[in-house]
Order: sequence, then structure tokens, then C-alpha cells
Amino acid sequence: MSETATPAKTDQKRAINRLKSMYPLRNLVQQDYIDTLNASNEGKPTVWAMLNYWEGDLPLKAMGLNIVYPENYSTLLASTGSAESFLDASDSDGYPTHLCGYGRSTIGYSYRMMKDLNGRIPPEAPLGGMAKPTLLLGSGIICDARFKWFQALGRYFDAPQWVLEMPMMGTAEGTEPDLEGYQIKFLVRELQAFIAFLEKLLGRKMDWARLEELIDLAVKIHETNWQISELRKSIPGPMHSTDFWSSMPPSLFFAGDMATALKLYQDMLAEVQERVNNKIAGINYPEKYRIVFSELPPWHSLKFFDSLAEKGWNFVFESRGYHAPRPLDFSHVSDPLEKLARLSRNFIFSIHPCALEDGIANPVAEVYLQTAREFKADGFFLHPLISCRAASAGLRSVQDFLMKRLNVPTLWVEGDIIDKRVFNPQETLARAEAFEQTMEHYRKVRKAQGLDW
Amino acid sequence: MVIAMTKGLSLARGVYQDRGLRMRELRKSGKKIIGYICLYPPVEIITALGMIPFRIFGDMNETITAADQVSTTLVCPFLRSIIDLALKGKFNFLDGVVGAHTCDIGAGLILQWRDFVKSPNFSHLLDVPHTDHAPAVDYFEGQINSFKRHLEEFAGQQLTDDKLAKAIELHNTQRKLVRQLYDLRKPDPPLLTSMENLEVLVALFSLPVDEGNELLENVIADVQERKDKPDKKKARLLVWGPVFDNTSLYELIESAGASVVVDDTCVGTRAFWADVKPPYDLHSLAQHYLVDIKCPRTYRQAQPAELKKNYDKDLESRFDYIKKAVTDWKVKGAILQSVKYCDTHGYEVPNLRHYLDGLGIPSLYIEHDYSERSLAPIKTRVEAFVETLG
Repeated sequence: MSETATPAKTDQKRAINRLKSMYPLRNLVQQDYIDTLNASNEGKPTVWAMLNYWEGDLPLKAMGLNIVYPENYSTLLASTGSAESFLDASDSDGYPTHLCGYGRSTIGYSYRMMKDLNGRIPPEAPLGGMAKPTLLLGSGIICDARFKWFQALGRYFDAPQWVLEMPMMGTAEGTEPDLEGYQIKFLVRELQAFIAFLEKLLGRKMDWARLEELIDLAVKIHETNWQISELRKSIPGPMHSTDFWSSMPPSLFFAGDMATALKLYQDMLAEVQERVNNKIAGINYPEKYRIVFSELPPWHSLKFFDSLAEKGWNFVFESRGYHAPRPLDFSHVSDPLEKLARLSRNFIFSIHPCALEDGIANPVAEVYLQTAREFKADGFFLHPLISCRAASAGLRSVQDFLMKRLNVPTLWVEGDIIDKRVFNPQETLARAEAFEQTMEHYRKVRKAQGLDW
Repeated sequence: MVIAMTKGLSLARGVYQDRGLRMRELRKSGKKIIGYICLYPPVEIITALGMIPFRIFGDMNETITAADQVSTTLVCPFLRSIIDLALKGKFNFLDGVVGAHTCDIGAGLILQWRDFVKSPNFSHLLDVPHTDHAPAVDYFEGQINSFKRHLEEFAGQQLTDDKLAKAIELHNTQRKLVRQLYDLRKPDPPLLTSMENLEVLVALFSLPVDEGNELLENVIADVQERKDKPDKKKARLLVWGPVFDNTSLYELIESAGASVVVDDTCVGTRAFWADVKPPYDLHSLAQHYLVDIKCPRTYRQAQPAELKKNYDKDLESRFDYIKKAVTDWKVKGAILQSVKYCDTHGYEVPNLRHYLDGLGIPSLYIEHDYSERSLAPIKTRVEAFVETLG
């Protein structure tokens, strides 16, 4: 049991005890949309980029480009209830409805902009909309849609597309002794080609000193985020998942000014540390259950987490694929592109040796076994998405290993990141009530097996 | 024994109906059978090391049950069917299994296999880059080399240049013979039905390459002289899309009054349209599989590092091989089929339809869940489409 939390003294009406340091981080990404619109109005080039695990973000920033991320903008469309008309536009142009909700809403947005409005931003777009892109940066990391949906946008825009490569191995193959050097060489060659392309497109040279500065900032941002994650293992959990989701863009794709982001994350680290010192929880109710969420939340229904917080459900960790990886030692690396390659590759490969040691082929399952142990999870909330294969495919393995190895139960709730019609909050709350009995039962089972939570 | 007594189309049908038949025989005689998923594992290396490549398919007539324990219902039902069959022991004649990162779920399948099916002991996952960039081809060559080393260890022998060259020649011969098989459907009416064609192709994926080549030679000879030619139909169609390893869709289309005369699918032309080019080394294999096989899973563009996208040129660079098929096989319409949740094909659909519109080729898009019963609601749409072509 972990009923040690003390309700926060302030703002007793809110079920989730939001971190004050989260709000300015959330605002940073919003500023990016405004800056990109301004840049576009001034005739400057702008970029739409896919999440690329830092491989391309930093060269783009070093070249002074304004970037927006349609994946992130789609979460905004969902959370403001603006997605439906764009989904309809995608459907009407012939795209299958089973495709990624983010992809469909971006396709619909592009269709509206270029086919209906002659290049103008759809007036119904929140936050002023995304400016018309002059470059599309796709990525081969984790999800096939990350390069296919931008390729599909060639139907609407004449912006060129570049696709970044990233090795994606099986666990056993990912630990071959000569692999690292060969992959780094591949990634450095890819980055060299990407930068040569950017220089040609923009008619100016890469600012290498600026790139090195940004890589250093990136490393520090990740180190700070890693420290925040480590503090979140405390009981009670000091930071609720909703605060992570609201503040992740400046770490996940370096939204906003990176020096500002680093300062704000340091503020967040201090606030979380203070909560840990004073045993203050991320919810304003006694922490009865420590829950881990996987993988992407129902952006359209985030208020649903308030109802669970009132029942003492503290979402202590979440979305492992969106967190900064364990920091690397870069002291022996001087070439900025090699540093960048290692920084990005670290996200994918850092877990393989542990998984192999644990006898598990699926690294996602290994990640969550570690999370369950380290965060002393009472249960997992698994959220397979009707329109996202990447975030859903491995969840049965996660469910199976959590139960077989650790007797940690899972609540399996199908839903979607964009389409709110497939998520039923009331039914889920009813199931959550029954799931509490399950969690209580398995606490006893774990204790009987000698586990300490 | 069916295999020993039959040849030509009868043999193809027999193997199509029991794909593991010849594999079990060969295994009894001491041969090692290596199952592989999708088109990207280089089968030439398996053959060169004295083992038999066996392409793993699902089964549209087997209800998925066991897979629900390890896989969500929100992913490709074809791949779910494969893991379902594996969990039910239907691939127990395999000595090894090889997968490739051709799509996210396809790569994950090998991990599921390792975690839940557990046998056979040998398994390998090839990483396949997403672009045809020059560094990507070199990287993929390294991946093929890693696969070669792993398989050499399993086979207990080294792969020599000579063995590899001979294996590539054998597989190239098969590719050439398949192209000749497709030529038999250029006349109107075609000399071979699409169902017969698919039975032959599925048989090729279930036989050693030399036996497959013999089968092809016999089928081609028999068909050229056959008296019972297929009927002339209202329309000549092309079928496009991901894997379709069952004759049911072709039966449905042909019963609607059309002949399927050519395809762009990964059980059909994609595996056979290009040869591996000399010199016959690992780089040639990387070039063949990553660049020359035309599957939407690989990102291509009209010009490397182009500074501006020209939509028409982009479509031309991605689909011009389809234009050639349309011309050579005198195609009048196209059916674009896809298994549900196939992202790489799904994003392609409106662009390809637009391209076909430009060629004056009407098209119909249909989706199914890789079960025969999911085809029933499609029937009326196919009939109406064929009617419009008449």
C-alpha cells in the first residue's frame, strides 16, 4: 500500500495536483506555432517534421528553421474537439479510415488548405494553424506512417520531403558486437547527406558551432528529464502523467528555444524534488494505486484522469517511448554528427542488452517490466489505439510479461488518440472499479512471492 | 505420393492445397527448411547454403484464436494469421524462421515468435532501411552479411562466392520463367486463369527452387498447348496490393465477368519482376531487394534529394512500372485491394488511383480482413465495377 500522500494544501478542487512548472513548458510549444506562422508570413522557410528522436530536429534548428510537428498539432486538434472535420476531409479524398488518426487529420488539414482554401490556413484551425510547409521531414523511426503520410502530402504541397533513417533491430541482432560502429557510420553518412540537402535547399551553410551548442543543450535537457523521471519513482508519485504529456514537447522534439526549455525543466526538477522531500503527490487525494499508462492517451478525453484521481489512482509514469533515455557519456566523441547519431540511436538500442538478459525478445515488454519494478506499479492502464499500430502492437506482450513475471495486472481499454467515438469513459470507469479488486488481490500475491510492493 | 505422380498445373494445385507437403518430405530426407516472411529475406543465401526457403503465409480459412493471446486485433490480420498458425503448431516442419523489418508489425512478428512460439531455435530478423539512399543500400548489405554469418553458423558451412552465384542464377531463372508464365495471360482470352497463376506462384514459394523451375517449365509447356482455354471475359483487370495468397479473391472477380491478367502484389509480380544483377555478391542482393523490388514500404522519389516536389513526376517515378503492365497486358480496369490496417499500402491508395485515372484506367478500392468471409460483402461492388467496364 502507498497511502502516504498528503493532499496538496492549494487548489483542493482539482483532482490532479498540477506542477506549476509545467505551464510555461506547455506554452513553449504553443509559441512555436505562432513563430512559424510569423516566419511564413515573412517569406521564410518553415518545416513540418515527424517525431524523429532528435536526429533531424537539431540540424534544422541550427539552420535557423521554424518547425512544427503535425503529430503534436493533431493532439491539439483532438483536445480542442477540432479534429472531426479534418478526418472527414481525409476520408473524402480517399484515404482509408483505418490509417493513423494523426495522419488523417493532417491530410484533411492539408486538403482543406490547398484544395478548399487556395493555400490559406483553415479558419477553424486552433492556435492560428500550421503554416504552409516548405520542407517535410519524415522519419523511419518506429512507425511506417512517419514517412508514408508525408509522402501522401505530395498530393497537396510541392514541398520536398526528406526521410531520415534509423536502424530498427530485433533484440538479439541489436547486441551483435560489431553493430554499433557500423550503425553509427550509417547514421553519420545519412546526416551528412541530409545536411548537404538542407544547405542546397536553403542556399546557406550549416552553422556547425550552433549545432554543437544545440547538441550540448539537448544532452542537458535529456539529463534533466532523466533526473525528473528518477524522482518520480518516489512514494507518493510526485508528478502525474498528465503533467508529463503537457510538458514533453520541449524534450521530445525540442520545441521552443532550447536554452529556455532547459531552464524550465530545471525549474520542474526543483519543484518535483520539493514534492518528494515533502511527500506531496501528483494527485490531491491519497495515493491508493500507483498506475503506469501505456502508450498514448485519449487526447480528447484527458479530463477522464480527474475521475480516476478522485479514486486515488495516481498515474506515476507513462508513455516510455516518449521519455528521455538514460544519459550517455559523450566525452570521447568530438564529431557533432557522431554525437547526434549516438544520441538518437540510444533511444532505440539502450534496452536491448537488458531484454536479452531477461530472456525477452520484445524490448517494449522489457521496458515496462523495468518500469513496473522501479515504480512499484500496482497496475498498468494499457490503451491500444484503433489507428496506431506502433503504439499498440506490443501491448499484448507487455500484458503477458507483466502478469507472468511480476503478477502486475493490466486494465485493457481500446480507444484512440483522435477519434473520441471509440473511447467510452463511463464504461471504463466502471471497469476501473472492478480493477481495483484485481490490484488488491495481486498486491497480496506479490507480497507472498517476496516482492516488495 | 501426390508430389511424385503429378506435374504441371495438377502439381501446383496439390502443393497449393497442402503447402507443407513437400517440405515435410524433404525434412525427412535430412534437408533443413527455413521459413521466411515477406519478400525481403534474400532466399538466395538460404538456397546457397543447401537449405530450402519456404515462404510463410497465413490461412484465410482458419479462424484466428490463439493469436489473440499475443497480438491485438488492431494490427494486420495477415500477420496475425501467421502467428496464430505458428502458435497452433502448423509450421512445425520449419528448422528456422527469418523475418525482415518490412513494416513495423512484420518486424514485431519475429519478436512474438521468439517470445511465444519459441521454436524453431534458429530465427533471424533483418533490418531493412526505409529509403533507397546509397548509405541505406550499404547498410542493408551489412545486414545481409550478418544474416549470412548467422545462417552459416546454423548450416555448419561457409558460403562461397561460387555457391552464391549458382543460387542467384537458379533464382533468376525462376524469375525469368515466372515472367514467361505471365506472358501467357497477354492474349485475349488469357491462356491461364488468375486462379491457376496464383496456385503456381504459391507452389513456387513452397518448393525448392530447382523443383519450382521444373514446375514452371512444365506448366508453361502444358498451357501453351492446352485445349481447354479460359473463356473470354468482359474486362481485363490488374490487381494491386499487399499479400494475397488465396485464390478466393480472383474467383470472385472472375465470376463477376472479368479476367485478372496481371497484378502488382507481393505474392505475384513483385517477387519476380527484376533479376538480381551481376556481379553476384551481397551488394547485388542489397540493391535488388531494397531498390529493385517495388513495394510501397520503401520511400522513393523522382530525383534523389529533389528540392521541389513535382506531383506528376513523383507519381511517375513510383508507378511507371504499373503503366507498362497496363499497356503490355491491355488492362481496362484495376482493383486495388488491401488487408485492413496495412499502413504502407493504405497511404498509397488515392495517389495510385489518381495515377491510374491519368492513364484512363478506372479503379476500385476494396479492403478485407484476410478471411474469405470478409470478401462476401465486396462481391456486389466488384460486380458493379466490372459492369461499368463492359
